[in-house]
Amino acid sequence: MILVVLEHDGQRLRKSALEAIGRARQLEALGPLAGVVIGENTQAVAQEASQYLPTVYVAEVGGYTAEKWAEAAYAAVQKSGAQVVIASGGRQGRTWTARLAYRMKAGLLEDTLETRAEGNHIVATRYSFLNRVTERQRAALPVVLTAKPNTTPPAEPQGSGGVEVLNVALPTGVEVLERLSEQKKGVSLTEATIVVTGGRGLGSPEAFAKVEELASVLGAAVGATRAVVDAGWRPYSEQVGQTGKTVQPNAYIALAVSGAVQHQAGMNKSKYIVAVNKDAEAPIFKIADYGIVGDVHQVLPALIEAAKKLKD
Amino acid sequence: MKFLAVIRQVPDGESRLKIEGGRVDLSGATLILDQMDEWAVEEVIRLQEKHGGESVVVALGPERAEEALRTALAMGIDRAVHLVAEGYLDPITQAEALAEVIRAEAPTLVFTGGQQADWDSQALGPALAEALGWPVVSWTTQIELESETQAKALHDLDEGAERVRVALPAVFTSQQGLNEPRYPTLPGIMKAKRKELKKLPLSAASKAEVLEQTIQERTRLNKLIDGKDPVSAAHELVRLLHEEAKVI
Ligand SMILES: Cc1cc2nc3c(=O)[nH]c(=O)nc-3n(C[C@H](O)[C@H](O)[C@H](O)COP(=O)(O)OP(=O)(O)OC[C@H]3O[C@@H](n4cnc5c(N)ncnc54)[C@H](O)[C@@H]3O)c2cc1C
Ligand SMILES: Nc1ncnc2c1ncn2[C@@H]1O[C@H](COP(=O)(O)O)[C@@H](O)[C@H]1O
Repeated sequence: MILVVLEHDGQRLRKSALEAIGRARQLEALGPLAGVVIGENTQAVAQEASQYLPTVYVAEVGGYTAEKWAEAAYAAVQKSGAQVVIASGGRQGRTWTARLAYRMKAGLLEDTLETRAEGNHIVATRYSFLNRVTERQRAALPVVLTAKPNTTPPAEPQGSGGVEVLNVALPTGVEVLERLSEQKKGVSLTEATIVVTGGRGLGSPEAFAKVEELASVLGAAVGATRAVVDAGWRPYSEQVGQTGKTVQPNAYIALAVSGAVQHQAGMNKSKYIVAVNKDAEAPIFKIADYGIVGDVHQVLPALIEAAKKLKD
Repeated sequence: MKFLAVIRQVPDGESRLKIEGGRVDLSGATLILDQMDEWAVEEVIRLQEKHGGESVVVALGPERAEEALRTALAMGIDRAVHLVAEGYLDPITQAEALAEVIRAEAPTLVFTGGQQADWDSQALGPALAEALGWPVVSWTTQIELESETQAKALHDLDEGAERVRVALPAVFTSQQGLNEPRYPTLPGIMKAKRKELKKLPLSAASKAEVLEQTIQERTRLNKLIDGKDPVSAAHELVRLLHEEAKVI
């Protein structure tokens, strides 16, 4: 049995959940599929999930803590006898799945790009060494794995299944006092096909208005370096890199960004990398496909005009 | 009170990586205390400075990991424990071995890095928490002790952040913004040489194995345009992105 833990927003399954189901179907040789919906307002989501999976468990446990998620997923594992658990990557997914893997004494395959069954093993590819190395790992069942976002086509509905409620004893070690949510506007950074990132070389938060303008002309998401986030020019949610988000767009446009390894860890797999920097020796040019060596304050307005002309 | 950091030695991100026989070959790379673990070590030292008690650093890794332990001692940690293990061990197996040492130490809390800069793993902290039966707070940006059995923390989620109250003992993993780590001073480095560093051999079987590692760098086009005339440079770049790369 393969158990898919399904991310949702209290109303619908998230795209990442459909990707996880897609992953599970690729491993069907290892057994039939089941899903589990954990959290708040799980009922409607479980109904939706049953259009994709023959069995769906629900655990209404309230808001997220890693302890609750591991507990609920473990209850579903016991009920289903699952030998494989698939969840979405991301910080939360990679936290509670590690708890679960320990409890199941399972091999843990983190942030996988691809996975396939090989006898009673799973072989996975993933990145390591700050996204610089691609490696193949293998683990014998039982296995817990997380799928890196945007690496699997989302699954389509298929048949209809039953819903079964799980009763989970709630762990109490962590009490959530306050959620500080981020305001989301514009295109989502991790799903964007074009990302325009500004670095410290822009010189001021005001200069970022031009970065936003270029992004909006191109239908792109706005990214930032840590230097910019530390200076308070942009919110942390826009940071790309080792301690920020990992992106892999068709075009990554880095404006006045030096290209430190920690920044590269979040964008070095982009299809095309474009850089504007006044320093021809900046590390970003070593990994760039296209670039302009010049002053961002002169080049950026000209880029906006040229892009507008193209779009007209 | 006792505060404990779990660390790794990793290649400096600036180091060139080589592949030998399908494996990353670190000979020739500069090896450092993982920068996310540096935040963990710094926080443990600050907690000790504020609340008193003892600070301990623990590493699981090959012989050479001793250098990273010495760095932590030079920053100000009191003593070190080194579980010596060569070769790859998955985080679940690592957690099991580390939990045994940590249970015996019985610290107030444990801090480790949010993500390892070599194996890009985020699992060790939470797996360790599970092994110990403790709560975990991952990607911590602020921590404040309320008593010996309770702390308040701020930590990052997938989107946004949350403030939590946590029962201690617990495991915390670090995130950018937690602190600015201090540099080891010369007297600190001298003192570190005399501090206790206990070695414990470890042999354990990994639940996952690495079959092959490769470096698949995309061949980049490196087409650079002189920006002295910004308007024509911008037009040329937009043309290339539209006609050649076909991405806009
Ligand atoms: C553990 C750890 C984790 C980290 N995680 C991240 C992370 O997730 N993301 C991240 O981004 N960083 C991260 N960093 C920080 C990283 O090392 C760099 O400090 C940071 O990326 C630098 O940001 P920057 O490129 O904006 O600034 P700088 O390095 O200061 O570069 C600015 C660039 O702008 C250019 N410039 C200046 N003026 C102009 C002009 N007028 N026109 C054109 N170009 C100009 C300069 O030539 C320079 O190349 C991390 C560091 C550590 C230790
Ligand atoms: N991301 C990784 N996952 C698993 N094993 C790795 C990884 N990176 C390196 N290794 C291997 O683990 C072994 C031990 O590494 P070390 O702990 O650095 O001595 C070496 O053979 C490395 O090649």
